Amino acid sequence: MLQVRRRTIFFYMLPMIVTIAIINLSPILYTFYLSLTNNTEFNNSYNFVGLQNYINLILSTNSDLYPVLGSTILYVIVCVALFLIIGTLTALALNNPKVKGLPFWRMVLLIPWAAPSAITALIWKFLFNETFGPINQIARVFFGPKFNIPWLSSPFWAFAAVVIVNVWLSYPFFTVVILGALQSIPQELNEAANVDGANALQRFIQIKLPLLRPAITPAAILSAITTFQMFNTVYLITQGGPITNAAKPGATSFVMVYMYNQVLGGGLANIHYAFIASFAITMFIILGAITFMARSFGPRNKEALA
Amino acid sequence: MSEQSISKSVTADSAVAARARQLSSATAQATILRRRIFSGLSLVVIYLFLIIMTIFALFPIYYVIQASLNGAQSLYTTTLQLLPQPITLANYGYMFTHYPIFAWIGNTVLVCGLSTLIGLIFSMTGAYALSRFRFKGREVTLNLLLALQAFPGLLAITAYYYLLQFLGLLNTAPLIGLALVYAAGSLVFGCWNIKGYFDTLPIELEQAAMVDGASHTQAFLRVTLPLAAPALAASALFMFVGGWNEFALANFILNSNQSGSNLTFILGLYGLQTTYQTPWGYFAAGSVIISVPLMLVFLYAQRFFQSGLTIGGVKG
Repeated sequence: MLQVRRRTIFFYMLPMIVTIAIINLSPILYTFYLSLTNNTEFNNSYNFVGLQNYINLILSTNSDLYPVLGSTILYVIVCVALFLIIGTLTALALNNPKVKGLPFWRMVLLIPWAAPSAITALIWKFLFNETFGPINQIARVFFGPKFNIPWLSSPFWAFAAVVIVNVWLSYPFFTVVILGALQSIPQELNEAANVDGANALQRFIQIKLPLLRPAITPAAILSAITTFQMFNTVYLITQGGPITNAAKPGATSFVMVYMYNQVLGGGLANIHYAFIASFAITMFIILGAITFMARSFGPRNKEALA
Repeated sequence: MSEQSISKSVTADSAVAARARQLSSATAQATILRRRIFSGLSLVVIYLFLIIMTIFALFPIYYVIQASLNGAQSLYTTTLQLLPQPITLANYGYMFTHYPIFAWIGNTVLVCGLSTLIGLIFSMTGAYALSRFRFKGREVTLNLLLALQAFPGLLAITAYYYLLQFLGLLNTAPLIGLALVYAAGSLVFGCWNIKGYFDTLPIELEQAAMVDGASHTQAFLRVTLPLAAPALAASALFMFVGGWNEFALANFILNSNQSGSNLTFILGLYGLQTTYQTPWGYFAAGSVIISVPLMLVFLYAQRFFQSGLTIGGVKG
């Protein structure tokens, strides 16, 4: 540790702390304050109502909270499982010394990582277009001219569409993480198991997987958190739809998309700012809890190094 | 290809085979034979998998590039068309002459650059203090940063509206306001990532510099910062790209006429796509213009990420 005067520490910390206080903390505190009022678009002289918004949000039987949370969690589980499977398979393929042209495959498979996600989402939206999109056009080549997948108008296919796009964007990160971990496994372990008669699957499950876990776990937790907060990919493709029941949120109205639609969505009679704020604070508590839990699951305590 | 790879794999397996031959039992021979066939087969499966993944990875990119070169209206057919005919640069020409592309790029660079600058400089000094000094409130600050990381700015969208109104930026300089909002996220991300990297640098280097007569600030600027360059570069790139990709807050804060010149690029493109009169070829040309430089930088910089991000402990 460096011994310094208190003034020096103050000098180093001040810019960050002041900026954080203004642009990070004050909006959060204001949102919290808002969540305790009955502020709506047309109710500017609002009052303090205590926890009423939270009670409506959590205890009301027709609250949107549970369907929205449920579909978001399903989305997170499906996406992270696919990231892991595809990331592991690609990493194993790229780690196989018998495969020719590894640098080429590696570069090609990592390209989606570099693609800007927002523009990618808009591109995929066209690919999914029912009439003119190339995915359905290709399918028609194989299955006849009547074939049509209702990508963006059926709840199931819309969900599948945003899963596919998210997998496209995110699997390369897992490929890199898992490939890095695979390459740090000593080759001798693998050979020894091979001599002992273990087949490829056994070698993977019994030797590689336990050694990969320290690298995979934090990556999976982090991706779960970012997928939970996913906005761009989903909103730009489905806008949270399709809506099959006017009283219920759409099939891909995951938490962020739902929130955004509640603030900016067209056709809202009266934007209920206070209620949305209570939704935001609830999400913050959930995300914060996951983050702190994930940290205690972490493989090593970074602080110990300092 | 499969024949060749099988014979290749056989030679590669010969080391294992030689070792096993010492066992000189019939069952071992049978096992080896089985394994050779299996490994040849699995190599075919691996190549198949790689080819499928390559198509998956490249198809959207290929499609948008060919669409950008295609006569704009010919995309609206129900039959598959994977080659542009005739090849034309008309879409690009149209984009540059009919839309304020340079204004969009300028706005995006301004917003992303400013937020990256604020995020990087302020998080650099803060991360240094958190890594190198021990003081009252350090633990609280670290926990606060962790909690803030769990708070996507989008959640406080209403509050940001009022904050920018309060600061007088909403109507006069919305782009600066947007940069400030982005900086909030950049700052927290950057602080974690850079602190993690500082933690891995031996403190003795700075102590040595200070024994030689350097001040704290000199040791920080001349010794620590140059050593942390990979982490700084990776953090800066992620902050910049984060802003480049952001849609929701930009749409909320810059919310105005969608063909206006005060938009960021992604808003402009979004506006293009939602008005159905616009041929998709124009949109495709626009996305190529904006994506290609960014992707090249990203692929080039990727070599630095390994050290700059994984050591820093922040991934994603």
